[in-house]
Amino acid sequence: MKDHSKIINESLEEKNRFFTRRHFLKEASFGFGGLALANLLGGCNFNDTTTSNNILFDPANPLLPRSPMFAGKAKSVIYLHMAGAPSQLELFDYKPELMKMDGQDCPQSLLEGKKFAFIRGVPKMLGPQANFQQRGESGAWISDYLPHLATIADEISFLKAVTTDQFNHAPAQLLMHTGSPRLGRPSMGSWVTYGLGTENQNLPGYVVLTSGGRNPDSGKSVWGSGFLPSVYQGVQCRSEGDPVLFLNDPDGINRDLRKASINTINEINQQQYKEFKDPEILSRIAQYEMAYKMQISVPGVMNIADEPQYIHDMYGTKPGKESFANNVLLARKLVEKGVRFVQLFDWGWDAHGTDANLAIDIGHINKCRSVDKAMTALILDLKQRGLLDDVLVVWGGEFGRTPMQENRAGKAVPFKGRDHHTEAFTIWMAGGGIKKGGSYGETDEIGYSSISGKTNAFDIQATILNQLGFNHEKFTYQFQGRPFRLTDVSGRVITEILA
Amino acid sequence: MNIKRSNKILVVVGLLLLVGTVWYFLMRQEDKIDFNTQVKPIFNKQCISCHGGVRQKAGFSLLFRNEALAPTESGKPAIIPGNASSSELIKRITANDPDERMPYKHEPLSKEEIKILRKWINQGAEWGDHWAYVSVKETPVPDDVEEDWNKNAIDNFVLQQLKENEFAHSPQADKKTLLRRASLDLIGIPPSENLAQQFLNDKSDKAYENLIDSLLANKHFGEKWTSMWLDLARYADTKGYEHDATRKIWRYRDWLIKAFNKDQPYDQFLTEQLAGDLMPDADEDKFIATAFHRNSMCNDEGGTDPEEFRTASVIDRVNTTFEALMGTTFACVQCHAHPYDPFKHDEYYKFMAFFNNARDENTEFDYPLLRHFSDSANEKLDELVSWLKTNAGEKRTKELTQFIKTWQPSYNSVVFDEFVNSELGDGRRVMLRNKSISRLKNVELTNRDHFIFRYDAFVNNGKLEIHLDRPDGPLLSSIKLDKGKPGLKITSNDFVSPQGVHDLFFIYSTTSPLKQKDDDCAMLEWIHFTQKFPAEGKPGYADMKKRFWDLLQLQMPTTPVMMDNPADMFRPTNVFERGNWLVKGDEVNADVPKSLNPFPNAAPRNRLGMAMWLTAKENPLTARTMVNRVWEQLFGMGLAETLEDMGTQGIAPVHKDLLDWLSWRFMHENKWSMKKLIKDIMMSATYMQQSNVNELLIEKDPTNKFYARGPRVRLSAEQIRDQSLAVSGLLSDKMFGEPVMPWQPKGIWLSPWNYEDWKISKGEDQYRRAIYTFWKRTAAYPSMLSFDGVAREACQARRIRTNTPLQALVTLNDSVYLEAANYFAIQLLKKHKEANVEAILKEAYATAMLHQADEKSLAALKNLYQTAFINYTNNKEEREKLLANNEIKKPEAAALTVVVNAIFNLDEFVTKN
Repeated sequence: MKDHSKIINESLEEKNRFFTRRHFLKEASFGFGGLALANLLGGCNFNDTTTSNNILFDPANPLLPRSPMFAGKAKSVIYLHMAGAPSQLELFDYKPELMKMDGQDCPQSLLEGKKFAFIRGVPKMLGPQANFQQRGESGAWISDYLPHLATIADEISFLKAVTTDQFNHAPAQLLMHTGSPRLGRPSMGSWVTYGLGTENQNLPGYVVLTSGGRNPDSGKSVWGSGFLPSVYQGVQCRSEGDPVLFLNDPDGINRDLRKASINTINEINQQQYKEFKDPEILSRIAQYEMAYKMQISVPGVMNIADEPQYIHDMYGTKPGKESFANNVLLARKLVEKGVRFVQLFDWGWDAHGTDANLAIDIGHINKCRSVDKAMTALILDLKQRGLLDDVLVVWGGEFGRTPMQENRAGKAVPFKGRDHHTEAFTIWMAGGGIKKGGSYGETDEIGYSSISGKTNAFDIQATILNQLGFNHEKFTYQFQGRPFRLTDVSGRVITEILA
Repeated sequence: MNIKRSNKILVVVGLLLLVGTVWYFLMRQEDKIDFNTQVKPIFNKQCISCHGGVRQKAGFSLLFRNEALAPTESGKPAIIPGNASSSELIKRITANDPDERMPYKHEPLSKEEIKILRKWINQGAEWGDHWAYVSVKETPVPDDVEEDWNKNAIDNFVLQQLKENEFAHSPQADKKTLLRRASLDLIGIPPSENLAQQFLNDKSDKAYENLIDSLLANKHFGEKWTSMWLDLARYADTKGYEHDATRKIWRYRDWLIKAFNKDQPYDQFLTEQLAGDLMPDADEDKFIATAFHRNSMCNDEGGTDPEEFRTASVIDRVNTTFEALMGTTFACVQCHAHPYDPFKHDEYYKFMAFFNNARDENTEFDYPLLRHFSDSANEKLDELVSWLKTNAGEKRTKELTQFIKTWQPSYNSVVFDEFVNSELGDGRRVMLRNKSISRLKNVELTNRDHFIFRYDAFVNNGKLEIHLDRPDGPLLSSIKLDKGKPGLKITSNDFVSPQGVHDLFFIYSTTSPLKQKDDDCAMLEWIHFTQKFPAEGKPGYADMKKRFWDLLQLQMPTTPVMMDNPADMFRPTNVFERGNWLVKGDEVNADVPKSLNPFPNAAPRNRLGMAMWLTAKENPLTARTMVNRVWEQLFGMGLAETLEDMGTQGIAPVHKDLLDWLSWRFMHENKWSMKKLIKDIMMSATYMQQSNVNELLIEKDPTNKFYARGPRVRLSAEQIRDQSLAVSGLLSDKMFGEPVMPWQPKGIWLSPWNYEDWKISKGEDQYRRAIYTFWKRTAAYPSMLSFDGVAREACQARRIRTNTPLQALVTLNDSVYLEAANYFAIQLLKKHKEANVEAILKEAYATAMLHQADEKSLAALKNLYQTAFINYTNNKEEREKLLANNEIKKPEAAALTVVVNAIFNLDEFVTKN
């Protein structure tokens, strides 16, 4: 390939001179009104009157790395989302009292004024189906559903009183990842790549990996860029077909020929630049260079077959199929190569008890087995590579599950199952400046309500942004006349679990 | 000599006098403080975060003049017009005590700022309205004309600014460049060969104007401009949210294409979309137009509260109306008064009241729907209508016709609110079980003695009783429900009108044996209360009654439309405290913001009246917004760059006078003709300039807001696809109809609980224009998303153009583009039997760009051809893979495919020059 580095450099210089092209960020945002507006609202936080920073970026090179607002602990994020919502009552939130109530009618006090997705009338209580033990020095309760994770309890901090106000999957997932239960807001990874760019220009900055056979309930919108430029949407890497859409050369066009054709394209584009002097042409030349590099880099990263056997043993990976384990290993490879945000979704956690796959004591155990080893390996592997301090790992679902046995539409369901529950669930975080062996938040004796240390999606988002070096109240984007934040109008950094 | 000398002195004195006078007047003008440009920015920067719409500390707000002059908490006003020194505002910004001095705990105001405020108060503290909120006035055209460049008034405005800023305009682009530019702008694809030849051979002065006229009259004009409107209308072929199931609303897209093609005046274009159903001559087309506001989303996920999502749709309509049609951000007023623009919190909800009585309420079938009858069904309907007119009067005829066409007004199952042993099941229908009770509240039964309802039954021998006011209240009606034919059925029953408004209790029971006592036995979808079929005893009664029933039950294709509640189903509108729909504040009536034009006197207080207000010539925003948008389509950036916000936070236009001149002309002289507006702009010398830039221009005006050069813009997602198909010869000419599914990679559609598939369309439907591509909100067509297409979850006023490697991958590797390249290559080879490589490459390039390749480019393409040719001569396997779908398997075909693929990726090809 011809050396176009001169052109790329020229393009970068152009970019610097051209920073004024941030034009879609309103000029006013930097002038009088903008500062005041940001002051005033900062996403409607009226207590904060310090100024906000809008991110300057060049649409011709929108993913170049940028500095955060302050030095963050983490450089990248791996977010493991169990779509459908795992049962905190079988995994982390040990409730012996609930066992005593197993099979009894649910007390009216827990039902009055409440609304559930499927439970109607008076359901029965359902005791914990797993055996619990305290683990490690921290003494965290982890059940025998997760024997591997149990061995690294001391690496993790638990949030045990997470709440939400959305009891349906799609809105709850959207709330967790975009800060709004409705479609149309940018996802967390979009915010992060908008704020920080990405370290490796030959790979997408925000990668999404899905397993479980279905997309999450909220569809691709949950990694969409909302009102941010579309370049910040998550790029789904797939285990079948092209690893990134349209990445592979067409059948019958080999690498050398592709190289030759990109050379030709860029050569003629240079002619075009000489004639028109439009800097956009230089960016296009640079983008074709990057596309070519991406074609080489992505399949390399996406290929896990080259990993040594001990790594496969550790993660439980089997190259060549779509699985959560493979995705977790990929996530490690991606952050290692400088990808900023890796978002995993694993579908099939919605344990209503309507069939065996969705039974708390059958299918749910299998789901746990399918993730336990790999996510444990991820923490250990990052640690042994010295990356755990730089990479923030988050695990959780979109809500929790009820302490009651589901009685769909007032009728008994055939298996042990729990309905969606908004008032208490567990999320854990590790690495990236999170306290080792920490725990925050408590639920009542049957795990129905959070009673102390309550947190919600906004707090989690605020904490993630904080670890990356962003003040979530000042990290805004102007849209429809006001500065929007990932955390909307609330959110608190959960300092209790920070190292 | 003396005379000459004194003349000189006179001249000097005269000049001095002149300079002095000019200076004096300039100073005088400067002396008058301008609120908008001098005072408001200080307020916005220094004061309004504490003394504005959201917070009004010490009871002082600077948002509106009446607020600013009103007594504060201290009992005294802070501003006394004409007297700065006794105004508390001045005292506080100049105070020495840090506890007194404003802005509190912040840097003090600069001397200059204090001087401005002092002067402004002394001059009477006059308020000024932001330019975009003042009605458009007739604007004089600057008359320092340069005759040989200017083509129309637009150029006078542009030239004035160019001169003031020391720019020179660029020369006119050559004919071929103009041909491609105009064609892409007007019809979204390159011109037909005929049209191109016609223009290039036309040596008359009118050649360019003839070209513009032909393109404006071209049937593809509507397709191009509809693609712009679909983002505003947040048009999609699915309903959004989790299931994101199909919604058939494409007739609205077709309505748009036709409306643009026939140059429907913009005021009427908007009125029909906002309120076609309420227009006196509402016909099928006008109803379809109202689907504009049925493009809001609908949530089918289990356990959904329909009222929550109904409310979300109504809010979406308010925001879309303001953002898309009036270029103003109204959304923030949802939670509090607008911090910068003159809108009050309750004004949001007053405006929302125009939409709050729309019938739709997040039902699974998207009611209300307009049912599209076949010609033969329409004939039958016409006969029925004329019989009804004769025998039952105008009012009943209208009612019954509407019911046949829409099944409205009906109570949807989602409004049942209390259940014993029944519930709102999947699809939010009332599931009836043995011995169940379901309540429907507040039903007007005065003069009603008949109901019609849609249901299904899963067991025989069911009985549905309706009781008045209490479960054990008087029996209104009892009806037997049997399984009958599979699927939903419509039936009816008579009752004796009890008069008045009642709660109704639906009690279901069955004598059939059940597997389990709580098995679902039947379901209820909607119920309509009315009068018995009219004119009993009149000739033809029995036939016509049967015809009514036949037509009512016909399975027909449908389109979601807007319809309002009848009076007895009226929904009051309340302010939502801090924007929370669950916390209802004061009840409000439909109204428009006070700071804009007044509501027209004769207008009804409904959507139609609102549309009349919005399209009144006094409305300061409607025309400006559209002019700005059309300008953006042609130049790549609006006159006011922020299409979505012309308010005080938007970017102010450099050419405000031009925007106003065009807006006035659009409304008054061109009678809202969109084609004339477009033609005005395209006939300007400004538009016709070359788009070459130079270092100086890039430095001084990188975004081309002074128009010292013509537009140079990357094509839109739609244009990029359409152009490749058109150049290759693959593009289908077919217009209208159901959305199509061209090739896309596998595994894009994976919505849970939705097993709809992307089934690749057959034949020419694979090669239709991009606007016909099926648009699924949560998994939109990926290659278009890469080129900044938007998901259409909410109204998007403009797309932000990016430049990324993923875009390069699409045009290099997406099968659609490769197939186009391959097809084109084969056509070229068939045409050039001699296989003269140079001639073929020249033609390929010229067909794509509409001009000849220069020598260097041609040499580069020849090089690539040679490399590819050698590769495919030596490598049969690769050749056969690349040409898998061709009868010609020669290395020439493969090599040419590679070269055309490269041409389709050139900067010039994806750019409008």
